[in-house]
Amino acid sequence: MNPLALQHYLAVGAIMFCIGLIGFMTRRNLIVMFLCTELMFQGVAINLIAFGRFHDNLAGQAFVIFVLVIAAAEASLALGLVVLLFRQRNTLDADAWRDMKG
Amino acid sequence: MPFFLAQAGGPVLPAIAIVALCVIAGIGTIMLLPSHFHPSWRKVGGALTAATGLIFLAAVLRHEAAEHQTDIHSVYFYIFSAFGLVCAMRVITHRQPVYSALYFVLTVFASAGLFVLLMAEFMAAALVIIYAGAILITYVFVIMLASQPTSVDGAHPTPAQQMADYDNVSRDPFIAATIGFALMGILLFVIFDRAEEITVASLNPTALSEGIARQAPAVEGNTQELGVYLFSHQQVSLELAGLLLTIAMVGAIVIARRRVTIPESLAAAPAEVVVFPATPVDDNPHSIPVYGTDNPSQKAYPET
Repeated sequence: MNPLALQHYLAVGAIMFCIGLIGFMTRRNLIVMFLCTELMFQGVAINLIAFGRFHDNLAGQAFVIFVLVIAAAEASLALGLVVLLFRQRNTLDADAWRDMKG
Repeated sequence: MPFFLAQAGGPVLPAIAIVALCVIAGIGTIMLLPSHFHPSWRKVGGALTAATGLIFLAAVLRHEAAEHQTDIHSVYFYIFSAFGLVCAMRVITHRQPVYSALYFVLTVFASAGLFVLLMAEFMAAALVIIYAGAILITYVFVIMLASQPTSVDGAHPTPAQQMADYDNVSRDPFIAATIGFALMGILLFVIFDRAEEITVASLNPTALSEGIARQAPAVEGNTQELGVYLFSHQQVSLELAGLLLTIAMVGAIVIARRRVTIPESLAAAPAEVVVFPATPVDDNPHSIPVYGTDNPSQKAYPET
């Protein structure tokens, strides 16, 4: 039987999520910031599939399918917004929109 | 009492070791992130982070070797997870967005490998197709579209100088690394010290899966099982997901389209159709030549 415990997969997912979080907070390029959110999605997906496997049901995988759907929708909308913002200020710097406080 | 709960090995890592490793990895990450520091700082930071990762890996391996015999499954697990995490670090530390996107593709491949190890073959394929094939291509397109040539003084600019300033300098790396590695330390502490060890063998399959998977008709393979599950238990969610994708597509088109301005002279001119004896060489309607104007909205087929 599989000697790997659930903890191994949870640890990988947690580390990947935190790396994505650090990247989201530090990088200033809008595209790389969205790439880091995708990295966080990866960590969550590993967690969900590992839980589904170790509990022996399919809910985890079904959940990851919906996470993929949301990620695809988010990527298309976010990249459309990035193109729009780039046309306005001609830069990808997130700090260019610093005055947008609300 | 199952055998793996009775061992006296204790936790994988003591809490103080997790804290120390997270602090060192945080310092290494701060030095690795793009900044104005001398390039040698990045090498030191990379060495620090890699050393931390190796120590962590060695601790986990030592713990495992004391309790189980290692098989090929866990070898693949360590290869995939180490590869994926190294590529994830490169995603957030590389200066050039294109390279970040390409390293993210490698991370997706590593995750797909982990999914295969978790008996989720369909999700592994879907991840590679959707993420590496579709979403990342979109990212790379937008990066190409939105990158601008920067003019740098000097005859021989280094590659770092050619990058835009917002790619070269990161924002608040100290605060971000503190928050991120604090969260990582807490999560690892909970996962390794506070959770009881769960393996597939430790769970009673009949007890936990009484509802969902067993009611489905007996089919072969993960993909078929997942399909039966989705269309028998998640129908409404599936339809909503399709609706959401459609709405997102319409929204993205509305957001990103650019209004084409037609010059006044062309817009005011009457539609001009050049009538010419055009004889198709065959039955294919596309072989009819199209005559028109510069104004694309006035293009018309000649009347024969």
